[in-house]
Amino acid sequence: MHLMRAIKQGQWAVLLWPYLLITSIPLDCRDEQGGLSRCPSISQEKLLDRVIQHAELIYRVSEESCSLFEEMFIPFPLQLQRNQAGYPCITKALPIPSSKSEIQQISDKWLLHSVLMLVQSWIEPLVYLQTTMNRYDGVPDMLLNKTKWVSEKLMSLEQGVVVLIKKMLDEGMMTTTYNEQGLFQDDGQPEMLEYVMRDYTLLSCFKKDAHKMEILLKLLKCRQNDIHSCA
Amino acid sequence: MRKVLEVILLLLLLVFTHAKGTRYSPPGKPALTRCRSPEKETFTCWWEPGSDGGLPTTYALYYRKESSDTVNECPDYRTAGENSCFFNKNDTSIWVNYNITVVATNALGRTFSDPVDIDVVYIVKPNPPEQVAVTVMEDKGWPFIRVSWEPPHKADTRSGWITLMYEIRVKLEEENDWETHLAGQQKMFNIFSLRSGGTYLVQVRCKPDHGFWSEWSSSSYVKVPDYFHREKSVWILITVFCAFIFLIVTWLLHMNSRSLKHFILPPVPGPKIKGFDKQLLKNGKSEEVFSALVVSDFPPKSSNYEDLLVEYLEVYIPEEQELMLEKSMDLDVSCLKSEGSTSDSDSGRGSCDSHTLLMHKCDGVKEGRERQAEEARRHQKDWKEEASTYSNVDSSPDMSSGRVKTWPSVFSPLPRYSSNQQGSLETAKQHYLSDSLFRPSSTSSCHTQPGHGATEALGPSYWECGLSNKQPHLLHPQGQAQRQLQAHSDDNISSIGRKPTPAGLPSPALRSTEYVEVQRVNEEDMVLLQPVSGRCGDVEGYPQVPHGEDYSKVKGVDGDNMLLLQREVREETGNCDTPSTVATTQKPTTCIHSAMPVQGEAVLGVNGYVDTATVFTLPTY
Repeated sequence: MHLMRAIKQGQWAVLLWPYLLITSIPLDCRDEQGGLSRCPSISQEKLLDRVIQHAELIYRVSEESCSLFEEMFIPFPLQLQRNQAGYPCITKALPIPSSKSEIQQISDKWLLHSVLMLVQSWIEPLVYLQTTMNRYDGVPDMLLNKTKWVSEKLMSLEQGVVVLIKKMLDEGMMTTTYNEQGLFQDDGQPEMLEYVMRDYTLLSCFKKDAHKMEILLKLLKCRQNDIHSCA
Repeated sequence: MRKVLEVILLLLLLVFTHAKGTRYSPPGKPALTRCRSPEKETFTCWWEPGSDGGLPTTYALYYRKESSDTVNECPDYRTAGENSCFFNKNDTSIWVNYNITVVATNALGRTFSDPVDIDVVYIVKPNPPEQVAVTVMEDKGWPFIRVSWEPPHKADTRSGWITLMYEIRVKLEEENDWETHLAGQQKMFNIFSLRSGGTYLVQVRCKPDHGFWSEWSSSSYVKVPDYFHREKSVWILITVFCAFIFLIVTWLLHMNSRSLKHFILPPVPGPKIKGFDKQLLKNGKSEEVFSALVVSDFPPKSSNYEDLLVEYLEVYIPEEQELMLEKSMDLDVSCLKSEGSTSDSDSGRGSCDSHTLLMHKCDGVKEGRERQAEEARRHQKDWKEEASTYSNVDSSPDMSSGRVKTWPSVFSPLPRYSSNQQGSLETAKQHYLSDSLFRPSSTSSCHTQPGHGATEALGPSYWECGLSNKQPHLLHPQGQAQRQLQAHSDDNISSIGRKPTPAGLPSPALRSTEYVEVQRVNEEDMVLLQPVSGRCGDVEGYPQVPHGEDYSKVKGVDGDNMLLLQREVREETGNCDTPSTVATTQKPTTCIHSAMPVQGEAVLGVNGYVDTATVFTLPTY
């Protein structure tokens, strides 16, 4: 009889074990305070590593997408003139230093904030880019898939950076909410070449900015390990 | 004075230029060949000067950054060498487009090159890796090469400013093909599968995640020590093992050579004849050989020869007795047998069976006797030859030696054999014809001896030899008789099929399986027939003849030399026919119930029975 009861209780326990796990793991636990923490959250280092991996992947895929787009849609003479079509990069106005020496002089906080700014400013244009990509004739599925993937990864990168900021700087930040009104409006029906050049510029700028994000994050990581060896 | 001197100089210059024939021109268009950055912190641009137009030409490089509108000139023309411009750290901005132009200037003018846009991030070509170290190490007795290196000292990989990927290539000293390995971001690599005693060359290069491959590092040499003895011992083991297996296989083959020979080259099967001795044949005494084949009790040479003779011969071959009759013939017996043999068991009975063939007995006793003689004498000869003896009939060769043919019941009711010799002859002929018609078909596929129509029925079950077409065509000559018959074949077959009886004969209401007994042979050599009473159309397939049915018991002999016979009472079925004999005498016949007077010879049987088949007078009722 006791055995039966024990078995029954055990059954319930077995069935409900996911709930046990959930109740015991608060989602945003603080491991800074108090001795032993029950919270198995990710460490800052690991988080930073993952964020860097994200940034690397995003950069690689965006580079592939850009070169693919360039091959397919950009006539050869225009390939060399990257930013001369009159569409400057949207992040031009962002105060991001452009030399190594300058970058090394900015603080961690500014590094993180710069990264966040970059990420957040690119989320909407990438979503827009997804829709415009379908407009082209004979656009390969691979290109569409890559663009879509990048867009999704960027959103997760943003979340990661937000968490990182919270961890490192103890600041709460808001993640962007996707709204329909983007920076880009579909104004009329300009020439196909205009479309192409605009999208091409968009891709190129994003590629560059993805690289920026990667570099900034790597610098940050170096600083975390040993500030003096980061020349 | 000075002015004069200057003018004179100018004039001299002009004269010189005119005298030499050279023309000065503005400089040709220079071109920027490449811009490279080794570590993403500085970069250098090189250009190719055009023609200088005969005059000393100076080159200047101007650049404009993307974000500003100011045009700057190259800060350093020297560091990087001739026709180059070096941008140091302070002047280098990454992620920023540079618009660079080179201008060539000489006394006569200036020429602008085509502008080039570059972004430092995308023109990185690092220096080759440094401190490449190659060592030979051992892994459980097998050597391998470990290559390690350092990134170029200028590239800042530690802070993550540049991420480099490496590549190694190896080759043997005396060969030309390199073996390339991608090493990723690690700074160490192992190479296995080395040739013992060989000398290897190793080179390393690197590339940033976006940019150009560096040059290959200088070759590092490494010599692999000999480990030949290890390989050798393995080979020795393998060789010994193989030799051992080979020996075993050879021994097995030798032991089983005979059976193997039989398996590969099966011997040709020899003839197997019962009683046939190959040795005797080899010895060359054919008489002995053939004598072994001869069955001693055939032909029957007993005093009972007369017993064997019957005045009417009804020959059929039930399956068991077939061999007895034709033991010497090489026949395709299967073709000849009929599955639904309608032959009865009454061999030697005094009846002309309508469905068992062979008219001859009805024809005449003499044919039967002839046939018996033939059978006795020439049981080994070809059927064909025997058939030719039957000249009185258009004999189809299958009429020989009592080969029994049972006419198929399709032809039933077959005509009753009358005492009319002509009629029966005709009947016989017709039967012959039908038989011959069928036979060739059988022979065509079966290659039987002509003359073995045997028990042929029309049904498909009978033609085991695969009679595909039923058109009578004679495939091989079987004698002139055949050919004669051939012409009549179609008609005859149809006639036979349609008419149950030949034209000349009135058809009695006979059933096909009715027996007719010969009562006697009268003065005109006519056979008086009487249906067998009690049989009434039943066919009994007994191989053995029940003696009691054909014989009557002699009750006594009365004064007129008449045998008083007492017929055995037999069960008579209700449907006992009262057929009328087709005889010239037109005498009605009935079932015999009582004794009959006997005329003439009476052959007494052994146990008081008289063979009613021989001489009897018809009862005059």
